Amino acid sequence: MDPITFSIIRHRLFRIVDEAVITLKHVSGSAITNEGHDLMVSLYRADGSLLMGGVGFLHHLTSAAEACKSIIRNFSGNINEGDIFLLNCPYTAALHTSDIYLIAPIHHNGVLVAWSACFVHVYDIGAMNPGGFSPDSNDIFTEGFSSPGLKLVDKGEIRKDIMNTILNMVRSPEMVALDMSSMIACNNVAKDRMQSLIDKYTPKVVDKACSLLISQSEKLFKERLAELPDGCWHSRQYFDVKGQTFKVLLKMSKEGEKIVFDFSGSSAQSQYGINCSRWASWGGLFAPLFPLLCYDITWNEGVIRPVKMIAPEGSVVNATRPAPVSIATVGAIQAVNNAACVCISKMLSASDKYSKEATAVWHGSHFAIFMFGKNQRGTQSIGILTETFGGAAGARAIGDGVDVGGEVPNPISRMANVETMEATFPIRYLFRRRLKDSGGPGLHRGGTGAEFAITPHDAPDGGINYVISGKGTEYPMSDGLGGGYPGAPSNYLWVKTNEALESGVPLVAYPNSIEQIPGKKEKISWGVFPLVGLDSLYVGWNGGGGYGDPLSRDCDSVARDVKNGVVSNVIAEKVYGVVVDNGKVIHKETNFLRKKLKRERLEMGKINDI
Amino acid sequence: MESIVKDKYIIATDVGGTCTDTVIIASGEPILVGKSLSTPPNFANGIINSIKDAAKNGSLDINSLFKSCRFFVHGSTVVDNTLLTRDGAKTGLVTTEGFEDTLLITRGAYGRWGGLTEDGIKHPVSTNRADPLVPGDRIKGIIERVDYKGHILRELDLDQAESSIRDLIENHKVNALAVCLLWSFFNPLHEQKVKEIVRSISPETYVSLSSEIAPVPGEYERTSTTVINAYAGRIIENYLQSLSSKLRDHGYDGEILVMQGYGGLLPAIEASNKAVGMLECGPAAGVIGSRYLGSLMGDENIIAADMGGTTFKVGVIQNGELRHAREPMVDRFHYVAPKLDVVSIGAGGGSIISIDPRTNVPVIGPQSAGAFPGPVCYGQGGEEPTLTDVMMLIGYMDPDRFLGGSVPLNIKLAKHIFKAKIADPLGLDVDEAAVGIYRIAAAQITDLIHEITVEQGLDPRDYVLHAFGGSCPLLCSMFGAELQVKKIVVPYTASVNCAFGLVSADVIHEYTHTETFSVPCDINKVNSIFEPMIKKAQNQLKADGFIDKTISMEWSIDLRYARQVHEVTTLIKGVTPLNKDSMNLLIKHFEELYERRYGKGSAYRDAGIEMTMFRLTAKGLVERPSVERLPINSKDYSEAIIDNRKIFVYLRNGLKESPVLDFDKILPGNAFSGPVLIHTPITTIVIQEGQTGHMDDLKNIIIEFD
Repeated sequence: MDPITFSIIRHRLFRIVDEAVITLKHVSGSAITNEGHDLMVSLYRADGSLLMGGVGFLHHLTSAAEACKSIIRNFSGNINEGDIFLLNCPYTAALHTSDIYLIAPIHHNGVLVAWSACFVHVYDIGAMNPGGFSPDSNDIFTEGFSSPGLKLVDKGEIRKDIMNTILNMVRSPEMVALDMSSMIACNNVAKDRMQSLIDKYTPKVVDKACSLLISQSEKLFKERLAELPDGCWHSRQYFDVKGQTFKVLLKMSKEGEKIVFDFSGSSAQSQYGINCSRWASWGGLFAPLFPLLCYDITWNEGVIRPVKMIAPEGSVVNATRPAPVSIATVGAIQAVNNAACVCISKMLSASDKYSKEATAVWHGSHFAIFMFGKNQRGTQSIGILTETFGGAAGARAIGDGVDVGGEVPNPISRMANVETMEATFPIRYLFRRRLKDSGGPGLHRGGTGAEFAITPHDAPDGGINYVISGKGTEYPMSDGLGGGYPGAPSNYLWVKTNEALESGVPLVAYPNSIEQIPGKKEKISWGVFPLVGLDSLYVGWNGGGGYGDPLSRDCDSVARDVKNGVVSNVIAEKVYGVVVDNGKVIHKETNFLRKKLKRERLEMGKINDI
Repeated sequence: MESIVKDKYIIATDVGGTCTDTVIIASGEPILVGKSLSTPPNFANGIINSIKDAAKNGSLDINSLFKSCRFFVHGSTVVDNTLLTRDGAKTGLVTTEGFEDTLLITRGAYGRWGGLTEDGIKHPVSTNRADPLVPGDRIKGIIERVDYKGHILRELDLDQAESSIRDLIENHKVNALAVCLLWSFFNPLHEQKVKEIVRSISPETYVSLSSEIAPVPGEYERTSTTVINAYAGRIIENYLQSLSSKLRDHGYDGEILVMQGYGGLLPAIEASNKAVGMLECGPAAGVIGSRYLGSLMGDENIIAADMGGTTFKVGVIQNGELRHAREPMVDRFHYVAPKLDVVSIGAGGGSIISIDPRTNVPVIGPQSAGAFPGPVCYGQGGEEPTLTDVMMLIGYMDPDRFLGGSVPLNIKLAKHIFKAKIADPLGLDVDEAAVGIYRIAAAQITDLIHEITVEQGLDPRDYVLHAFGGSCPLLCSMFGAELQVKKIVVPYTASVNCAFGLVSADVIHEYTHTETFSVPCDINKVNSIFEPMIKKAQNQLKADGFIDKTISMEWSIDLRYARQVHEVTTLIKGVTPLNKDSMNLLIKHFEELYERRYGKGSAYRDAGIEMTMFRLTAKGLVERPSVERLPINSKDYSEAIIDNRKIFVYLRNGLKESPVLDFDKILPGNAFSGPVLIHTPITTIVIQEGQTGHMDDLKNIIIEFD
């Protein structure tokens, strides 16, 4: 095929996905879609294999491909022009019930030529808890509406009976209806644009360009794999839920042009919804693989072909129905993301050519907090604290992690302004800033997470409630790399000021730190809690992992971090071995301290030898 | 010696990165254009040179020109440059205690990926946030708090504020200060008090308040804007002062009007206070110029495309109305200010062509060979083939007549290097490969224009394409045909389009008020929001020298569906002050606009409608001289033919012998069928087979499709 036409068609396919994403955001108009970019749009070939993945939550690219394939199998002979299918069953292909896939066949002159698929995190899915993450559910049956595939739009006509049935099962049906409209519009745009592309270049030429696009990605990815050293790399992730600890073990083996991700040894499935279905783990390992290994390759089926996954049945990475999975995307999927990031980065570090691409883990643990209740205008509403999309970049071979710098699996997320949040929910922020000592120490420091506290303000009911499904408070999940420390774990506190005032503790009207807020601080991480009166909710979120030995970090950089308030003197001395006074490095004491810390490490080694 | 007629001329000068352009207009006289190199850091010299060049073209004496000058209109990239070169003031920031990091953490990753291309976004490990204009140790939190309704919850602690400000000025030696407090756009009292404190401590310190510079919700963008303004404020103040004294030396003592990013002019004294307003004012002027030209030609729907050496820029004019950018950025900093929407890609004449070694696919840009060494064919040592070289290889440029013959082009060298670096690796001969690259460039431009038209619900078939700049006329007949635009206009002023835009702009003051109302609401309440803005605007415009007859006020309101995030600025087309009918009309227009912009089915009416911002656009209409139209001649263009050459004709996907015309020999009325080439002093206009062209009575070249 001539390279000119190929280049033009490739660019057009990219534009099609981009335009469809914009349509999704425009029509949905919701904060989670528009601020958090919690969405995905991709194009698939006629057989359901991934053709062009867009920039959204990347763990969806492969599972939406499986969703297409599942629709193809189950609706064979009944797939018509103008149809749109819905699928959100995690045991069929989806990740969790609230990320609904809408999948549309694209026909040209009556022939099925491609598929488009997209998702948004819908406003509500009718699970036990509002907002989609359902910490109180102990099985899939209480996680809301779940379909292994149905026809929502039949030859261009929305099936009202089906739509009304779905909307009948969710809170705020009008908002869910809007999410549905956005996905229908998005698929329609993708279809229109694909059809005009084919009109212009003929089905044969476009088909050829598409198959070339896939084989080219495969060729490029295999060449990259061949360039990287063969070997076997390990990583493990621990995460806690309600006092129980789960682990995800990963052994990644690379030989020649093949790569295998083996999760054998991971914990048995949980009674809580942090489990992954098989498709969630499969997507979870690709989310970091695409941007870390294939940043300059089109994300499609060609990248998927050389990859194999082993995930033991009945485990937290391949749960058996009816295990609950509603929290998968911020649960075991993240453990899979993180473990894959570490193994891939270890492999990259072993290559002269690619070592600069290595990174410690970014934002290892999301904190999904959905508020619900009556807002200051008297409307019942549900809303996410978008700070979880603020993230924290891991330290990299090329430098420090970016403070509050996002995450790898969702490359273009962002959080809302304080003023946006205060205008839409009856809350007031006490402070929002980078969190000291949250970035993993290392030669290159991990990006910090951040901290904030909120309290009710102008709430007609005196307050609101919130659902929290926040694992990763006991053990850090943002692993370091090459001797770098992990980022600090997340921390969620319910500060009981109401109680304290009753017992006579004086009020501090405008506390500027968690220490200044009066009242008992109860650690929370799982379930539904009230936020009423003068109580507050404090969130300190995890920082990115560090890279390399902190004792090798440039002393002036440590002093700068101390001066900027992102590293404390205690950590500067204990972990970095740098003594800082008034923003300046005290060299003599620092030299002494660093030597002492190195000696202590050698001593520890000796004890282990005995 | 000509006699001096007072208030005869409007002189417009646009300072760009490379060139300073001038346009001079006067009633009953032809438009004069001038060009000279920009002269940083003393831009005023280049400005005078450029005016001299234009004056020379009309055989005018510069001093008498200035004496009969009514307005001097000016646009400049000086603020953009201050940002790009990080050459601004040592700036401090005062914000609400507890939120000191707002500027530094940029709403999370937003500041890390903002402004990146697809390649950067797909490669997060390689990306960083830009270093902030104000580092952390120069950010001070002060004790105060206002809530979402504008109520003061916590009084400003004057002593603590003063000691913070003293610390910044005395210890950190800042000479500019940005102030952005939470919710200050609802209640600016605390910010104003902070300003008083600064004035009392250090009157010479430059202060920007967010409630004055960007009184809109969203503390990150508001802070970023205020910081940019403080950072560049003093520089623009000095720049305009030195320009004004230079002009005085030449005998001009009238008003200097300065172009703003939203396409309106402000008197220099006000422009000095709002540096951020001048960002991207050049491209805005270009769109304004396009709109003016459209009005002269009776066209209201225009795609205004400008392609120079490094970038392709394009804006859309719909029914004579301009579109505003949603989330503007300068360098990699977000800001919020009314700004015309002009999008761009890194494709220009100097864009370097390369072959991706892994995929063997040709790539255009984003690197540019710049003015030096420039394209290979310039023979200045350039070794990377560029789009300009491709244009020459497919016959579009005349090696002996480039820029009026001033720069001889080395076609042999260009062919040699293009063959080795591009054609051979692709396995194509030179002609095939060059034609292919040209097609890719046209396709990428088509995609970009598609993005801002079709993808926004606009049909390019309803639009006229204006092709500006040195490179656009070489490509427009190809992508214009792909887009199926109504017709293409290559304006006579194509090379000085931004300066042309300046002479066609009006003085525009924008005022805003933020408050949320649910619809339906008390109409009198809405009117009472506009009242003080109108009074302010009238005083301002009268001080600018306008009278009731030349003042026009436009009311608009930002509306949204409750519980959705998208707001649409909707112009009130009915009577003002509002009555029941004009209010109903406003809501109707909003609903239409919303569906047009966000797609069918996107409106969620059941949630109700909210008003979130009230805007007054106050215009002082500048009287423009009538433009001289030339007599129409016969269609016969044979006098203008200077050559015959083989050029690329896309319908044949090959080369064809075609006539070559000299622009200066074409007369209005002359008409020709493609394929044909027209060499102008600054560019070449390509007319494809299946297209016809003619020169109109304004010396524009019009290309139409058969």
